[in-house]
Amino acid sequence: MKDIVFENVSKTYGKTEVVKNLNFRVREGERLILLGPSGCGKSTTLRMIAGLEEITAGNLYMNGRRVNDVPSGERNVAMVFQNYALYPHMTVRENITYGLKVQKVPQDEIEKRLDHVLEMLQLIGCENRLPKDLSGGQRQRVALARALVKRSNYFLLDEPLSNLDVQLRISARKELKKIHDLYKQTIVYVTHDQIEAMTLGDRIALMYDGKLQMLDTPENVYNRPANVFTARFIGSPPTNILKINYFNGKVHIGSQSFTLSDMWVKHIGRKGTKNLLLGIRPEHIEISAQPLENSLRGKVKYVENQGNEYCVYTNLEGQEAAVISGHNHWRPDELVYLRLSGHRIHFFNAETEKSIGYPEALLDKQSPSHENIGQRMSV
Amino acid sequence: MELIRPVKTGFRVSQKAIARLLLFPSILLFSVFTFWPFLYTIYLSFFDWNMVSPKKKFVGFENYVHVLTDPNFLKIAVNTFLYIAILLVINFVVPYIFAFVIGIVLKKWTSFYKGSLFLPAFISLVVGSILFTWILNPVSGPVALIFGWLGWEMPVWNKAQGWVILVLSLITSWKVFGYNFVLLYASVNGISKEVIEAARLDNIPLWRIFFRIVLPMSSATGIYVLIMTIVQGLQYVFTPVKVITQGGPDYASSNLIYHSYHEAFVLFETGHSAALSVITMMIFILLLVLEFKFVERRVYYEN
Amino acid sequence: MKTNRMVSVIWHFIIFTTVVILIFPVVFSIGVSFKPLADAYNNVLNFIPFPLTMENYAKLFHTLPVVKIVFNTFIVASVVTTFKLITSFLAAYAFVYFDFKGKRILYFVLISTIFIPFTVTMIPNYLIVSELGLIDSVWGVILPQLADAMGIFLIHQSMRGIPFSLIEAARLDHISHGRVMKDIVLPLVRPSVTSAGIWFFITTWNEFVWPVLILKTVDNYTLPLALQMFISSEGGTDFTVAMAVSVITMIIPLALYLMFQRYIIGTFTSSGIK
Repeated sequence: MKDIVFENVSKTYGKTEVVKNLNFRVREGERLILLGPSGCGKSTTLRMIAGLEEITAGNLYMNGRRVNDVPSGERNVAMVFQNYALYPHMTVRENITYGLKVQKVPQDEIEKRLDHVLEMLQLIGCENRLPKDLSGGQRQRVALARALVKRSNYFLLDEPLSNLDVQLRISARKELKKIHDLYKQTIVYVTHDQIEAMTLGDRIALMYDGKLQMLDTPENVYNRPANVFTARFIGSPPTNILKINYFNGKVHIGSQSFTLSDMWVKHIGRKGTKNLLLGIRPEHIEISAQPLENSLRGKVKYVENQGNEYCVYTNLEGQEAAVISGHNHWRPDELVYLRLSGHRIHFFNAETEKSIGYPEALLDKQSPSHENIGQRMSV
Repeated sequence: MELIRPVKTGFRVSQKAIARLLLFPSILLFSVFTFWPFLYTIYLSFFDWNMVSPKKKFVGFENYVHVLTDPNFLKIAVNTFLYIAILLVINFVVPYIFAFVIGIVLKKWTSFYKGSLFLPAFISLVVGSILFTWILNPVSGPVALIFGWLGWEMPVWNKAQGWVILVLSLITSWKVFGYNFVLLYASVNGISKEVIEAARLDNIPLWRIFFRIVLPMSSATGIYVLIMTIVQGLQYVFTPVKVITQGGPDYASSNLIYHSYHEAFVLFETGHSAALSVITMMIFILLLVLEFKFVERRVYYEN
Repeated sequence: MKTNRMVSVIWHFIIFTTVVILIFPVVFSIGVSFKPLADAYNNVLNFIPFPLTMENYAKLFHTLPVVKIVFNTFIVASVVTTFKLITSFLAAYAFVYFDFKGKRILYFVLISTIFIPFTVTMIPNYLIVSELGLIDSVWGVILPQLADAMGIFLIHQSMRGIPFSLIEAARLDHISHGRVMKDIVLPLVRPSVTSAGIWFFITTWNEFVWPVLILKTVDNYTLPLALQMFISSEGGTDFTVAMAVSVITMIIPLALYLMFQRYIIGTFTSSGIK
């Protein structure tokens, strides 16, 4: 099994603990995305797999073997670095073949692999150029090519697209998928870009503050956030998190309240959590100038134009709630009515900030396909 | 799918062992030719010895007392500071201003200036000493002749207190100037052009740009050159002193470095020489500490 | 942006004068070395040799084993340069790419030795050389000069500029440190290594202080020592011959200057001391 297993893995630099007690498994042949804000420990995690960082505590297994003390070169991993790490004094060809030559791979085999990647990554014609004479996109592809010719079981990518402009990023994402379909390596891919994570990942491991926050499919990470951090981190504008009081089957926000559906009432009753936070994405709130059934009253603060739609920031009993609207009729201080979609709300334990889960009826429902999520989130 | 088989080495040399191996030659060389000698000099400073006799006599601090109470010591110490002061002006202040002018103010001829100012740095200071003893020969040298036409009198500098230090410093500067200039130029030139352009658009006078922008932004190199001017400058002075005056007349051109040499290899008083070296070292350390205390804090590191 | 014309002109004048003062002695010495002695005395300001004569050089080769002396100087300069570059490169590599206990302190201590005046180590080093029986031998001149932290400092500066990920990429490919040094690090720090090498060569070629302690017989002299013989009589009788020795001492450094001056200034300017 070409898998990677983290068992209570921690990493400390001096006194600061950058990775805290990680436990998860990367499955053979999957594309796992390590996602998180800068400084969350995702790059360190990737570099521990590569053997570029020592593991302070815990065990790391690759292919069933404990690799804590195995040097990088013997782990059979290929890596694409954020800055590409191309050797500036070597031509494209030399960059791609250098590792193979040192490893004494037969010359005809080297040529075969070289021709293959050059063609696949549209680098034919650049073989004899130096990295400084290449465009950003070409450099990125050379870095990819250099990693691919190794034909390693493990393919690690550290923010490989962050130095590209938007257009190139979209085509590079497609290319990466194509490559993976061809080679089926186990991919661990670090990014801080949630769209990249959604479009590329079989699963997403969301990290924050050195800890794993959630590890699941893009659909579940988006639709069933395990905690407040996940809910707020994924999606733009972020999920509204509202302080509420819940009693008698009603959600009270300040002096107002709305009635919850039966399934939620039962679910919350079963969980028995008293102190709750409510989460809802801006696109799951209906906004209207006229009173709606079971809605709350708020006041418009300001409106942000997001191109295809508008994000209306409202004051809801002293808390801020963002709402997506298709049009821009909203004026500051205007009174509006907000209705929260009952199927789309999330409840979190206010103390632990963890999700209290969902009523069974909701879990059975089909999640929206994740291409839609990608669109939904493109800013 | 074909894979590269990771090479299995029979034994794995630890990373630490490799690091030690790489450092070994340097550490060996420095231990034998720098660290041990350094300690041994301190040791010798407590003994009366003449470098050949099989016996060294322990004398405690007597060497220090002798050296410090030597009637010539004060003269030599004052000379040392005079050298430092002159070298600082000619080899630090002037090259700094030149670096600013050539790097920022002037637009033409700059690479010619850079190149030709750098040239003497490649040439032996003994060559320089010989050349300048001839050129500055108070009786028959070209400068004396020109002075003669102008009706001026050339001081007999190699026999005159004060003058001798100035001239020897000038000879040393002939070699050191260009090197310091190039280092400072590199640093001044590294300052972002936008900053300077912005200042000039605001019509800020050049001297202000120099003091408020260039000096602070090149201060890391500036400090380095400052220290080197003192520490290496004095050692450079050794050559013209040895070649031209041998410290004379009557110790007028000697300094702590030369005197330490003189005690050891002319008078064979290793104890006195070692004590002088230790004192020199302490003065250097004191200067470094002062520098760190008052200047380093404000240094702007380019990187 | 325009600089006041007057200011420019004044600065050009000042700097040009400085250049003349610095360069003139060199031109002068070359000229005088080709002049007959009598002419050099009578016609002091005319340093353009006419009639041109080789007699000073002839006399020089007659009185001194010039070839041997040049050879000695060359041996000292090349051996010191080569060894210093190799040991400095290895040490710098260890400092940049390895982590070990006491690394920062060791580096600090090594670099601090740049600031130790030579008098502090002079007597014990003399004793070591004497103990090794190398007094009056070029090896006695070579050995103590090998301990110089300048090379470590310069190469370390330049190695630090190489993105770390390049070396990590190589380590992932299971490439040994030897290959990483040879194939990746060395080509990338070559400008600094070359500059440092040229600089060491010239410095050692011109070195005077240490050879003057060690070398006793003319046959073992290096060029600066041979030159010094001509000054004892205060610019005495053999002045034109002294100029000939000066010219021979300067040839190699001047040639290196003409070839590499821009290159060295370039490396200083791009990497610099920070």
